[in-house]
Amino acid sequence: MEKLHFTFKATQPITHPVHIGVVASGDLEVIMRPTTGDSELDIVTGSDGFHDVWQHVLERFFDRYPIQAKFEINDFGATPGVVNLRLTQAMEALKDAQ
Amino acid sequence: MSDTERNWHSHRDAKAARLANAASLLDGKFAKTKDAKAVLETLLSSGDKVVLEGDNQKQASFLSQTLASVDPAKIHDLHMIMSSVSRPEHLDIFEDGIASKLDFSFAGPQSTRISQMIADGTLKIGDIHTYLELYARLYIDLIPNVVLVAADKVDHEGNLYTGANTEETPVIVESAAFHDGIVIVQANEIVDKVPRVDIPGDWVDVVIPADEPYQLEPLFTRDPQNITELQILMGMMAIRGIYERHNVQSVNHGVGFNTAAIELLLPTYGDQLGLKGKIVPNWEVNPTPTLIPAIESGWIKSIHSFGGEVGMEQYIAARPDIFFVGPDGTMRSNRAFGQMAGQYALDMFVGSTLQIDQYGNSSTVTKGRLSGFGGAPNMGSNPTGRRHSTPAWQSLKPKDDPLGRGQKLVVQMVETFGSNKRPVFVDHLDAEEVQKEAKLANVPIMIYSEDTTHIVTEEGIAYLYKTDSMAERQAAIEAIAGVTPVGMRSTEKELADLRRRGIVALPEDLGVRRTDAKRSLLAAQNMEDLVTWSHGLYNPPAKFRSWS
Amino acid sequence: MRNSFVELHARQRAEALLDAGTGRELIGPLDNMISPQLEPQGIVPESDDGVVIMKGQINGKNVVIAAIEGAFQGGGIGEVSGAKIVSAFEQALADNKAGKTIYPIIILDTGGVRLQEANYGLLSISEIHNIVIALKKYVPVIGLVPGRVGSFGGMSITSALLSYLIGTDRARIGLNGPEVIEQEAGVREFDSSDKNLIWNTLGTKQRLATGIVDEIVDDDVVAFKQAIAAAITAHKDSHRDQKSDFYLTLLDQLDPTAPLDTVGYRKMFAAVQPETHHLAPAQASQTPGTPSRGRLWFEKLTGIQNAQSDVSTVLHAKKDGREYIAIVADEHNRFPRVRHGEVGLVEGFTVASVVNDLVAADKDKAVKTPIIMVVDVPSQAYGYKEELIGIHLSLAASAAAYARARQAGHPVVAFIPGDAVSGGFLAHGLQSNRLIALDDLGITIQAMSKASAARITQRTIAELEEATKHVPAMAYDIENYRKLGALYKLIEGVHSKDANDQAVATVQGVIQHALDSLEDAPTDLSFRYTNPIAVKSGRVATNKVRQMMAEQWPD
Repeated sequence: MEKLHFTFKATQPITHPVHIGVVASGDLEVIMRPTTGDSELDIVTGSDGFHDVWQHVLERFFDRYPIQAKFEINDFGATPGVVNLRLTQAMEALKDAQ
Repeated sequence: MSDTERNWHSHRDAKAARLANAASLLDGKFAKTKDAKAVLETLLSSGDKVVLEGDNQKQASFLSQTLASVDPAKIHDLHMIMSSVSRPEHLDIFEDGIASKLDFSFAGPQSTRISQMIADGTLKIGDIHTYLELYARLYIDLIPNVVLVAADKVDHEGNLYTGANTEETPVIVESAAFHDGIVIVQANEIVDKVPRVDIPGDWVDVVIPADEPYQLEPLFTRDPQNITELQILMGMMAIRGIYERHNVQSVNHGVGFNTAAIELLLPTYGDQLGLKGKIVPNWEVNPTPTLIPAIESGWIKSIHSFGGEVGMEQYIAARPDIFFVGPDGTMRSNRAFGQMAGQYALDMFVGSTLQIDQYGNSSTVTKGRLSGFGGAPNMGSNPTGRRHSTPAWQSLKPKDDPLGRGQKLVVQMVETFGSNKRPVFVDHLDAEEVQKEAKLANVPIMIYSEDTTHIVTEEGIAYLYKTDSMAERQAAIEAIAGVTPVGMRSTEKELADLRRRGIVALPEDLGVRRTDAKRSLLAAQNMEDLVTWSHGLYNPPAKFRSWS
Repeated sequence: MRNSFVELHARQRAEALLDAGTGRELIGPLDNMISPQLEPQGIVPESDDGVVIMKGQINGKNVVIAAIEGAFQGGGIGEVSGAKIVSAFEQALADNKAGKTIYPIIILDTGGVRLQEANYGLLSISEIHNIVIALKKYVPVIGLVPGRVGSFGGMSITSALLSYLIGTDRARIGLNGPEVIEQEAGVREFDSSDKNLIWNTLGTKQRLATGIVDEIVDDDVVAFKQAIAAAITAHKDSHRDQKSDFYLTLLDQLDPTAPLDTVGYRKMFAAVQPETHHLAPAQASQTPGTPSRGRLWFEKLTGIQNAQSDVSTVLHAKKDGREYIAIVADEHNRFPRVRHGEVGLVEGFTVASVVNDLVAADKDKAVKTPIIMVVDVPSQAYGYKEELIGIHLSLAASAAAYARARQAGHPVVAFIPGDAVSGGFLAHGLQSNRLIALDDLGITIQAMSKASAARITQRTIAELEEATKHVPAMAYDIENYRKLGALYKLIEGVHSKDANDQAVATVQGVIQHALDSLEDAPTDLSFRYTNPIAVKSGRVATNKVRQMMAEQWPD
């Protein structure tokens, strides 16, 4: 298990908190809460040694969705593809909530 | 040298002599189970070329165990020809000196050990082949002295019934039977009358009843329970962006969850798209249980198979319009014909792999694991000898070449990172290292870049056949390679350009919503659903049991 | 296409059952109530700790659903997830007592105790057992076993306590998973790789035919919803935890050494004509029984020498107005799997019958006889026949009897001079409202043996032992157990194998002290999390959950 922290510049505020996913094998859960300023991400991952991969996945995510949120992610060995899918689904849930 | 001095039937004489030596062990063609070792020690001769039947499903396991028990002082330095190195004793015989040279095709379960043994010099490799090549060489420069094969039932004349798992038995037996090799058969059962004759008795020399039925693995069964949303997403993209777009009529699916997902999406998602009756009526594929919903809902007209699949026997017997079924009512498979059909008569091959390099070459050989090829390269290559045309084949014809012709669709479907979270897209294949370690003549590449027409990942589809240069091909691969080191080289600008030119398509370009990729789209979500679809005719092996 | 219920995760399952727009989640993922035990062991937590509590309506009737997430840590119950279920159901009990009818529903998808929180899991599950028994006086408690994990371990005992249990054919129910039985009793007892055997034995088809589930529905959301609504309307109650006479009759007829398969057992089950069973008190004799710490202390506390009983493994006797009950070893027992003092089929049902007899006898008395359990249970019995018949029913019968006695006003004290492990402890010990133990490092107190716990959590025994050093709930000794706040008293200076007169007097004194403390005390299990050690450190998360639940419960 490893704890990671990231900060990304973001510009688009969100109005509602969102939760999606389950900490099942090869999967993860994502919580986003509204915040102001930069987006902070706290990640607990069961797979050690993937800091740079997370960095790249998140860079691409924030390029597309520069949302201002405090993220909590609990990851039980999800591949970058799954992470991306869940983040996209969280954005869908956010759209529904808003 | 005059004609009278030359013996033109020395092989026949040698065979007769060997069989005469074994006469005391034989009652006609039949030996006793307990004499199996003595039979092999008598009929084999050191240095013989010996074919041991066994592919990724069926294994002549009684004969392989018996071979491993012979006295190396009597029998040594055999040259083994084996489609598949699957069982521990397949390699034990090399450690014990019974055999010394190996020509093979596939080594899945033993890939780590075989790699080590080659490095240690315990084992000398002739070459690594595709199934079809290996069969071909049995008739040219690897003509066997002895073949060891497995049958389900044998009658008192020696006629063999090999049934649904006929697989490679005919091609092996024929190579020996008509060139004075000795054909030795292990039998699950001796019967008065076989259900049908798969191999005529006069091609068979010796029959030994086995102590237990030959090993048979349900290798192509994929439990829908384990299909992920990403596999469903890729399946949806493939159906829209390839099957539909190229009007694909005939296909082979490799073994894997990606293609299982497609099979289970046809009756649901495919139906929603109005594609039923328009795409993939004809298949060369093993009878995978995940095809049942597509068959039952009328998507599929014909399926020819390389081998059988445990549990599918009754279902196949009840669907003779679809499968190749004998007059006795049971399926017949044929691996050699299947590979031939897969190479020459298909519009498309869809497979998966463990690594793809920056140029688009792919391999399942990874560090320390020499897994070999099996049949994928036969299906996953463009047969330049092909002359007949189909719409899908024609759709890949270059626009600006007056002498141009079509091309087979060869599709690789991979998630950008494997389940071990290692990148699938790499600058250099591990296979390049393995070539050096195992001192192979060529890098063991499964499917070459030049043959690969499409790559599908969770990010999108690269239409590689549309690229004009290697640089453009690399850019297309990078664009769908996610955050792998290869993928990180792709820029937003390049991606936009490739999308505009139709070389790369993202899900949104195909009208596929990522969030629609749900397991509820699968026509069957678990094994029990497949049984229900089959009207109770499919009988899954116990290891797949997950209901009461 | 049908709308699969099994495919859904816990939150979706709860939402799917509720009338549209009525669902409200309590202590949800945004409330930051995660397990404090997992991260220190290098395990990724989940924001809801694997249990979703949702209030809402089904066909217009108020319900509270506790849905266990089988995909997170195998649906294991830890401190937080357990406390969420207990506190929600306690609120439901209070509402029902106040005339506000609300129906509790639990969706079981669980392997039982979360082994990474071991003793917390065991405590929590015993607290779930208590609240389910209490609720059943007011409303049916409906259980669902949709399938994937099924319902195992201590939560299979919960399943046996529920009023009505609905499953699909994709669920399995059993106390000990096949892997654990194989680990404890060998592959010849139960081959965990034989999936046909597993499904034929533990699958709901067999379980429906033999009284372990009440209804099988298609794997469909609507089918589940209809079945629940019908069960609520009909106030269905299987009384599965009150069938001791039935099972004791069946066990009288069973030859433990003869083979028994699923078909044979169905026939046997169908043919049982229940006879009443009452166990006479233990008598003194000339022949010593199989030595054990449980027997030693039972004999010393009751003064019965070489105590003998018609059921050789269950001793009970009244002394000085207290009813003492012990489950003891019997090296010659006809059931091979209970010879070391394990709680088996006969033991659980017999204890239940003894306790029920006492409760019936005291029914009209203002002052109820105190019950003193003497606890020395190395585990429950691991065996194929035990699972086939349903040993979880036996443990449930015993746990339910103790819980009902306590709720009826009997002071129930457990005295632990020996091992207190796993399902055996849930059946005989954990339904007491005062736990007393000897401060003796020879006592093992845990949810599962080390070998099995290592196999199930895929760690080495060395890794497991490392984890026990940092997490008191993982430890196997009584002194770490005290840190959880579960004990009323840890008696120092008395060795478990040396019951000398002074030691006995000391123990008697502490028991009396415990009984005194129970005068006018609550008849529930709240002592465990309200005492100073629990409040300060042992059950901090439990108390936080309870407080949040109290705040969030009102509509």
